[in-house]
Amino acid sequence: MDCKTAEEKLALHLYDELTPAERAELDAHLAACTGCADAAAELNRLRTVLDQRPRPEPSPDLLVRCRFQLEEALDRETSGWRALVHGGFGLWPQGSALRVTAALAVLVVGFSLGWTLRQQTSLPGVAGPAPPAWGSADLSNARISGISRVAPNPQTGAVRITLDAERQFTLEGSLEDPHIQEVLLYAVKSYDNPGIRRDTLEVLRSRGSDPVVRDTLLYALHNDPNDGVRLEVLQALHELAWTPQIRQAVLASLERDTNPGVRVAAINILAQHADEEVLPRLEQLAVEDRNPYVRLKCANAVREKARQEF
Amino acid sequence: MPEASPQPDTVDERVLIRQAQRGDRAAFERLVRLYESNVLRLALQLARSEDEARDLYQEAFLKIYRSLHRFRFEARFSTWVYRVVMNVFLDHLRRASRRREMQAPVNEEGGPEFFQTVADERPGLNPERSLRGKEIARRLEAALGRLSPRERLVFELKHYHGLKLRAIGDMCGTSEENAKNSLFRATQKLRAELRELI
Repeated sequence: MDCKTAEEKLALHLYDELTPAERAELDAHLAACTGCADAAAELNRLRTVLDQRPRPEPSPDLLVRCRFQLEEALDRETSGWRALVHGGFGLWPQGSALRVTAALAVLVVGFSLGWTLRQQTSLPGVAGPAPPAWGSADLSNARISGISRVAPNPQTGAVRITLDAERQFTLEGSLEDPHIQEVLLYAVKSYDNPGIRRDTLEVLRSRGSDPVVRDTLLYALHNDPNDGVRLEVLQALHELAWTPQIRQAVLASLERDTNPGVRVAAINILAQHADEEVLPRLEQLAVEDRNPYVRLKCANAVREKARQEF
Repeated sequence: MPEASPQPDTVDERVLIRQAQRGDRAAFERLVRLYESNVLRLALQLARSEDEARDLYQEAFLKIYRSLHRFRFEARFSTWVYRVVMNVFLDHLRRASRRREMQAPVNEEGGPEFFQTVADERPGLNPERSLRGKEIARRLEAALGRLSPRERLVFELKHYHGLKLRAIGDMCGTSEENAKNSLFRATQKLRAELRELI
């Protein structure tokens, strides 16, 4: 056995994945080769370090919350977003061909003109060879089960929406396209997967000046259950022209959001627009907020404003 | 997590699957109970917060619910379940690698770790030890975060769950050989990233 082969086998040795014959051969090499023996010792130490990583056990409380959240999501399966793209999402009992056909008819009508529909053979996020164009009629054989990706196409400026079916489909169209906009706005408001909601928000950020998009952002800021999504919304709002409506929304986020990270993000924005309406609120929360770091950030923002005015 | 040596699905499980395929929510929820602890445990390791782990749990089981009609009893149900779950987790890791810095505001006072330290200001804790432990944990998470999504998943399942590479390959829809390669690359990267700690 040479050193290159030995190096490749060390991890398998460490994790007891070698056959007895392979193990004996590697042990013989390690006994004769100081370099490889050192590498094996280093891997052992690596394992010890990695073992120090905490291994979180699901608490009964977390499990209960997970079950509750799942039950709510299952309840929503027959309404909301699925009624848009539509009804086609969800568990279709075998034989309910009428429902499937009706759902796909909506899809085909909604996604036909002006859209490039392609079969995506690779995994989402992995660019594959140029896929063949698909006609909308091909959707009639598809069973759409969800959205796996929303992303801008940097080459064309369009947006790509990857749908999960027995085969994946990528729908591509301009952000100006009202069908695309409709799907994206519903994805932000109603889709279950927070990662998809954040990806959708990233795409919509470039159209934040559109009143409908702005209203959707404000809706998500107040209603989205995911902290990361609300943070994304705050960042998107930060890029827009500062209006009384946005100020009220960010102030409300500072005062009501349950996550201190989101409240801190709101402070960072408000500190740059600390006017006579914002300042008293910051002063109040510098005393009253339940999180010490949020109180500190509010106090810092007030102090910085006073320093600027001085 | 599944055992190294596959056992056939039990009769009870097959009955539950058929009932769930016919739209029986109670049967589906009983199936969820069989797998949820393992799924949530892995979700907690891959996610950056309990909220994110909860979202992963929900996404995984919703995906199973929506595609249950496609299960044809040609494979073990547990293998099929874990394959769906692993796809969800891989998608999550891909998204996370695209926006690692977006999860919480990073600021001059110390970033997201600050919120985790607040809860630890309790009497009886050794601050120096706690700080050192936090630093090691931070560096481990950073090093694991730099693995590719597939390397990360294979490594977590191997190192922290003790699964055989063949089972990991089955769960991830790939070959044992590919799982071996991912494990090799993961350990090489971790050795390089964590050299100062070892």
